[in-house]
Amino acid sequence: MYAKTYGETTCGIDGEEIIVEVDIANGLPGFDIVGLPDTAVKESRERVKAAIKNSGFRFPSVHITVNLAPADLKKDGSGLDLPIAAGILLGTGQVLCSNIEDIIFAGELALDGSIRAIKGILPMIIKAKEVGKKEIFIPQGNTPEGELVDGIIVYTPASLEELAKHLNGQAKLTSLPKHALNLAINYSSQVDFADVQGQLVAKRALEIAAAGGHNVLMVGSPGAGKTMLARRLPTILPPMTEEEALEVTKIYSISGLLSRTRGLVLERPFRSPHHTISHNALIGGGSVPKPGEVTLSHNGVLFLDELPEFSRSALEVLRQPLEDGFVTISRVQASLSFPATFILVSAENPCPCGFYGEDDGVHECTCRPNEIERYQKKISGPLLDRIDIQIQVPRLNYKEIKNTLPVESSATIRTRVKAAREIQLKRLKDTNFHCNADMGHKEIKEYCTLDTQAEVLLEKYFVGLGLSARSHDRIIKVAQTIADLDASSIITGMHISEAVQLRTNNQG
Amino acid sequence: MHSRAQFGQWGEETACNYLIKKGYKIVTRNYRSNFGEIDIIAEKKGGIIFVEVKARKTLMFGTPAAAVTKAKQIKIHRTAFQYLQTSTKRYRQFWFDVVEIYVDAGKTTINHIQHCF
Repeated sequence: MYAKTYGETTCGIDGEEIIVEVDIANGLPGFDIVGLPDTAVKESRERVKAAIKNSGFRFPSVHITVNLAPADLKKDGSGLDLPIAAGILLGTGQVLCSNIEDIIFAGELALDGSIRAIKGILPMIIKAKEVGKKEIFIPQGNTPEGELVDGIIVYTPASLEELAKHLNGQAKLTSLPKHALNLAINYSSQVDFADVQGQLVAKRALEIAAAGGHNVLMVGSPGAGKTMLARRLPTILPPMTEEEALEVTKIYSISGLLSRTRGLVLERPFRSPHHTISHNALIGGGSVPKPGEVTLSHNGVLFLDELPEFSRSALEVLRQPLEDGFVTISRVQASLSFPATFILVSAENPCPCGFYGEDDGVHECTCRPNEIERYQKKISGPLLDRIDIQIQVPRLNYKEIKNTLPVESSATIRTRVKAAREIQLKRLKDTNFHCNADMGHKEIKEYCTLDTQAEVLLEKYFVGLGLSARSHDRIIKVAQTIADLDASSIITGMHISEAVQLRTNNQG
Repeated sequence: MHSRAQFGQWGEETACNYLIKKGYKIVTRNYRSNFGEIDIIAEKKGGIIFVEVKARKTLMFGTPAAAVTKAKQIKIHRTAFQYLQTSTKRYRQFWFDVVEIYVDAGKTTINHIQHCF
């Protein structure tokens, strides 16, 4: 007796269809799974056996061979329990189903036959829809993700028994209702830019960064407010588009970081890994590559506090994703690409003691010149070159701290950022980019118009500061964002000057 | 003799009668080596068959055939090869079979699983 069912596994951040073939033959009782299963899949033997028995079905005392095709793809995760169990029930005639070709099963079985939630359901549903399946059975615990995709019928059986009764036509399950995606964000977070007195330059820089998706480096002595500023950046980021939100949700689904109650990730991610992070944890790794912090901060912010404390290798691996917006991890098992379009926000002190360049008359830098040099050299030129906005965050004086003047709130800044983003989306609607920072050389040439004064200034800066070709492009991108915030259709000399100032503050 | 051993004896007897009825020629019974024991060695159509007999009075602990574990199979393999080496007769082919006998709801069932390992 032979039966075929369909399941899914995840590969990178996408689902991958798996054909589960079950052969039930006479012979010594046994249960073999072939087709490159990993340990979690091999162990499904015991779970499937117990679940079938405890759901009131008969587990056949014959030889069962399960083949997972395509045979060259490594299958991981416990989501194949359900298609295997369904295959055995079909093969032994305990369940009858006429449209098995149109169905995908995904779920982990408990020993009592109930179905447990698994990681990566959203990409599986999306894949199932892509390959033209009509129905998918997912665990009840993954309901929030099941509601996100339109165009495929999603069922959430609580147990193997319910699933079997549905297939046999004894008791039909009700499919999940579809809601229109609600992208409205509740910005009720505790922090707000209204809490920050002074630091007008830094705030302006972060506003530009949020509006155009540019990378930021903040340099300042301890306690100046670098971390405080960075933590408030998410409150002024524009809401994600539906496409962006689904992308982020897919990544979080695969990493198992999705909350159980809410499907779509609405807020842009804000990740702040500790500086002891390894380069593998940062860009992703593992024998079958898993997403790292750069991918988890896709479409959001990656905040690296105390930048020079990060290991050299961790910083250098950032160079490629910063430029390309994705990262490709190659291992023997698989070579996978993960999206990694993020705003890098970093903070550092000017020297090990933190007071280099401070002229308040109290603090004095106690570092030796070679120490300062070594500290600053930890961040390589190529990495700095990729950071569009580099600003000094000076210490506040007493008057500024005690100031009670009303300060702009995040909501006000956000309206401006949103308006600027909308201009960008409109301009870039023929490309698949979302903001100015994503633009390549070609797009800059096509979309960015500089007036004559701007051209003259740019040439002067280019020669005078010895800028690289990449810096040239990046200055135009920042200038374009400043122009967008100004609602100006062309880039003027003012915009170019501000962009250059924001960039070269640190490099002198 | 103990009743358990007697039951085993009865099982092997039943299996023998069953095989003879099916046209097999019994060559040896309870062939022993240093590695283990083969319950029945039989011949059919120029081939030799090594048979393991498993009998159970109840199905409460699974079918008898499920008790022929990998370790048991290895023992039977080694014993069979020793038999073949010492045998004067040459065979075209050899197989390993299991005959399981169980009593379910008062009815005795014989299940012959051919060429199974």
